[in-house]
Amino acid sequence: MIVSFFLRLQQICRQSLTRRWFSRRRWLRAGQYLGLFSLCFLLAVGCRSGGDSAGAPAEGGAEGAIGGGDRVSIGTTLSARTLDPADAYEIFPGILLYNMGDRLYTYTPGTTDLVPQLATEMPTISDDGLTYTIPLRDDVTLHDGTPFTAEVMAFSIERFMENGGRPASLLAGKIESVASVDGDLVIALQQPFAAFPALLTFSGVTPVSPEAYKLGAGEFSPTTFVGSGPYKLASFSSDVIKLDVNEDYWGVRPANGGIDIQVFTSAVNLYNTFTSGGLDVAYQTLDPDQISQLEEDAAGNDWQVIEAGSTVVNYLSLNQKIAPFDDLSVRQAVASMIDRQLISDRAFKGQAEPLYSLIPKSFPVYEPVFEEAYGDGNFDEAQKYLSAAGITEANPLAFEIWYPSSSTPRQVAAQTIKQSVEQALPGLVNVTVSTAESATLWENVESGAYNSVLSNWYPDYFDPENFVQPFLTCEEGSPETLCTVGSTQANGSFYYSDKANQLVADQNAEQDPAKRDAIFTDLQQLMVDDVPYVPLWQTKDYVFTTADVSNVAVEPNQQFLLWQIEKGS
Amino acid sequence: MSRSRSLRLYVFSRLLLAPLMIWTITTVVFLLMRATPGDPVDALLGPRAPEAAKQIMRAKLGLDQSLIKQYIDYLGQLLTFDLGSSLASQGQTVWQIIGDHFPATVELTLCGMIIAAMVGLTVGSIAASRPNTIFDAGGRVFGIVTYAVPMYWFGMILQLIFAVQLNWFPIGTRFPLSASPPAGPTGLYLLDSLLHFDFAQFGTTIYYLALPSLTLGVLISGVFERIVRVNLRQTLKADYVEAARARGISEFRIITAHALKNAMIPVITILGLTFASLLGGAVLTEVTFSWPGLANRLYEAITQRDYPVVQGLMVFFAAIVAVVSIAIDILNAYVDPRIRY
Repeated sequence: MIVSFFLRLQQICRQSLTRRWFSRRRWLRAGQYLGLFSLCFLLAVGCRSGGDSAGAPAEGGAEGAIGGGDRVSIGTTLSARTLDPADAYEIFPGILLYNMGDRLYTYTPGTTDLVPQLATEMPTISDDGLTYTIPLRDDVTLHDGTPFTAEVMAFSIERFMENGGRPASLLAGKIESVASVDGDLVIALQQPFAAFPALLTFSGVTPVSPEAYKLGAGEFSPTTFVGSGPYKLASFSSDVIKLDVNEDYWGVRPANGGIDIQVFTSAVNLYNTFTSGGLDVAYQTLDPDQISQLEEDAAGNDWQVIEAGSTVVNYLSLNQKIAPFDDLSVRQAVASMIDRQLISDRAFKGQAEPLYSLIPKSFPVYEPVFEEAYGDGNFDEAQKYLSAAGITEANPLAFEIWYPSSSTPRQVAAQTIKQSVEQALPGLVNVTVSTAESATLWENVESGAYNSVLSNWYPDYFDPENFVQPFLTCEEGSPETLCTVGSTQANGSFYYSDKANQLVADQNAEQDPAKRDAIFTDLQQLMVDDVPYVPLWQTKDYVFTTADVSNVAVEPNQQFLLWQIEKGS
Repeated sequence: MSRSRSLRLYVFSRLLLAPLMIWTITTVVFLLMRATPGDPVDALLGPRAPEAAKQIMRAKLGLDQSLIKQYIDYLGQLLTFDLGSSLASQGQTVWQIIGDHFPATVELTLCGMIIAAMVGLTVGSIAASRPNTIFDAGGRVFGIVTYAVPMYWFGMILQLIFAVQLNWFPIGTRFPLSASPPAGPTGLYLLDSLLHFDFAQFGTTIYYLALPSLTLGVLISGVFERIVRVNLRQTLKADYVEAARARGISEFRIITAHALKNAMIPVITILGLTFASLLGGAVLTEVTFSWPGLANRLYEAITQRDYPVVQGLMVFFAAIVAVVSIAIDILNAYVDPRIRY
C-alpha cells in the first residue's frame, strides 16, 4: 500500500513537471494568493500599532512590561479560586489578600519579628492565657470609606469563623468569643494558644467592610475585596488581576503605580512570556529545568534572580497501622537509607534543601535531628536496623511509595529513592513507586490503604507549632489502636502518642519563649525516636525580574510584598 | 402530505428530541461524576480538614442525601434554568462563570473557524480542481498532517517561532495587561470594540487572537479540506459542469460560481457541528495559550471536583450542540430538496 502510494506520488510529480509552470496566468494566480496572504498577515501584524494606542508598546513583546508606566506586570501560574478572606486558603489568594488587606499583626519586612500593624501594640494576655486584649489604630479607613474600628474587626473575625469557608477551622477551633470593649478588641480563647499572635497574621484575618460583606454560612464574595490595605482591587478575572494603589492608605504608599497580574495555565507560557520580555516579574511556578535555564541566561539578559528559602516541607509519611512500617526498626531503616542530597540534585537540580526535621530551617528551633540520629544515605546503619527487623534476602523488605500524579518533582523524588535504595541494598529492599490522582490519593491515605506517601505541608502561619501539631497530635486513639480520628490520620501515619499530645498542649500554654523552644526540642526528639515521618526536603522560592525592577523579595513567612516593588530608575 | 406540512412536522419532531438529548447527557454526567473516585469535600476543604467540618460541608452540599434525592433535586434545579453554584469559588453561580468565560471561547472558536474555512476551502478547491497533480497530492498530505499533528505541539511551535524567537505576537490572555479591554456589552472584544468604533482595540484584539486562532484554525482546516476536495471532485464530474466547460466558461468560474456551491452542503453541516463541538472542546488550545475560555474553566472544575460547575457546563455545551445540530438539520431540510424527512 505504501509502495503504491509512492508510485502514485511519483506519477503525479512527473505529470506536474511536464506541464508549463511558468505561464503568465499561473504567475498571476500565484500572485493573487500571495497578495491576499500578505495583506492578511500585514493586517494582523499591523494591528500591533493599534495595540500601542490601547496601551501597548511601540516595540517588544507583550505590552504590559513596557507600556504600563510604573505599574508592575507579574506573571504566575498560581490561580485564585476566591478572594473572600473567609474562604481563601491557597498561596496565591493569600498573597493578594496580604497586599490588599492589613492584619492586626505582621512581620517587619525581611525579618521574622512580629510587630503590630492595625493593633497599636502587642496583645495583653490574661494570666490564664485565654484572653487577648488588643488596642487598635484609630486612623484607618477601609476602601469604601468605612472607618476601621474594633466592631469592624470583630465582624471580620466572626465572619471568618461562621461563614464556613476553607480556613474557618483555623480560628473557629480556637476562639471562644470576640468583642469590642472600650474600643479595644477582646478575644477569648477556648484553650491557651501561645502562637495566637502569629495566627493573627494569617492573610484572611483582615478587616473587611460590613457594608460589603455578609455574615452567615456560605455568604461569600469570591470576586471582590473591600479591606484596608495599600492596594484596591481594580479588576479580577481568571486570567488577569489588577490592583490599583489605595490613595487614602493610612500607611506607607506603595513604591509602584499598581500591579497587573497575568495568570497562565502552564509554566511554559509563563517562561516564554517572561523570556520574550512580556513581564516584569515571573513568580511561581516554574519547572526546575526552566529555573535552571533562567538562572543560566540571567546574566546575558540582565535578569535578576531572587532565591529564597521557603517554609514548605516535604516528607515521607509512614503508615504505622500496616506492615512493614508497624515495626519501628523498619521505619528507622528507611530514615537511615534516604539520601536527601541526591534527591535535591536529581529531582530539583539543587533547587531544594535537604531537611532533617519537620520544623523548617527558617526557625531557630530547627535541629537536624534526623541527620544526627540516622545520617543521610547511611546504608550500613540501615542494614543494622533491617537485621533487627528480621529482614534478609530471603525475607526482603517491600514497600510502596505513593505520590499525587500531578506532582512531577515528587515522581522524580520517589524514583530516586527507589533507585538509590535498591542499588545500595540489592535483594534486601524492593520499592514500588505508585501514583494516583490527588483526590483519590488523599482519600486512600486517610483510610490507611498505603504504606507510605510523599507529601508536603504549606504552613498557615509562621510558628513552629504549625509544623508539629498537624504531624504529631491525635484527637482520638490509643497506642494500641493508633490514631482513629485526628490530624495524623489525615497525614497517613496514624501516629498516636500521649507524650506528643501533652508536649503540644504544653507549648500551647507556655508564654515563655525559651521554655517553649525547649518543648519544641523535645518534640523533634520524639519525631526521631518514633519516626512517624521522614523529613526529606524544603523547597526554595524563585522570583525572576527584569533589570528595571527592584526591591523584590520573598519574605521569611513566604509572603510576596508587592508594595515594595519599584519599577524604573 | 404537502411539503410545507411535512417540513413543519420534521422541525417539530427535531425540537422535541432536543430536551431528551440534553436530559440523557445530564444524567450520564451526573452519574459519571459520582462514580469517579475522590471525595469533592476533600478536594474542597483539603485532606487535613477536621472531619466535623467535612460533615457540615457534605450536609450543606446535599452530598449526604441519597443519589436519587440528589438527582431529583438537580433535575428540579435545571427545570428552573438554575445550573447551580460553584463549590470551589463559593458565591459564584455557573451562569456567572459562563458569562465570564464563554465570550472568550466564542471569539476564539469563531476566528479559528474562519481561518479553518478559508484555508480548508482554498486548499481543498485547488486540490480538487487539479486532480492527479502535485497540488492534489499536497492537499492530501495537508489533510493528513493537520489531522495528525497534536494541537499542543503545533501551538507550542507557533509560540516558539512567532512569540519567543520573532517576538511578533504575545502569549496568553486576550488583551494587554496594561490596557483596559473593550467595555461590554457582549464580552466579545472584536464586536465590542467595533460597537465603540475603537479600531485600535479591534486591532489589539486581533493581535492577541492571532496565534491561538491560527493554531485552532490550521489544525481543523484539514477536516474541511478533505470534505471540500472529495465533494468538489464529485461535483466537477457532473454533467452540468461538463456542459459549462463545453460552453467555454473558465475553470475558475466553473468552480467558484457553479461547483463549489453544490459541494458546500456537507461542508456546512460539518462546519456547524465542528463549531458546536469546539465551543466545549477547544480545551487544548485554551490551555496551550492560557486562553481564559470556558473549556479551560471546565478543565479546572474537573480537577477541583466542582460537581455543579462540571454538570452545569456540560449541560450548557450539550444544549449548544443540540441546538446547532437541529438548526443545521432544519437548514439542510429547507435548502436541499433531496433531503427526506
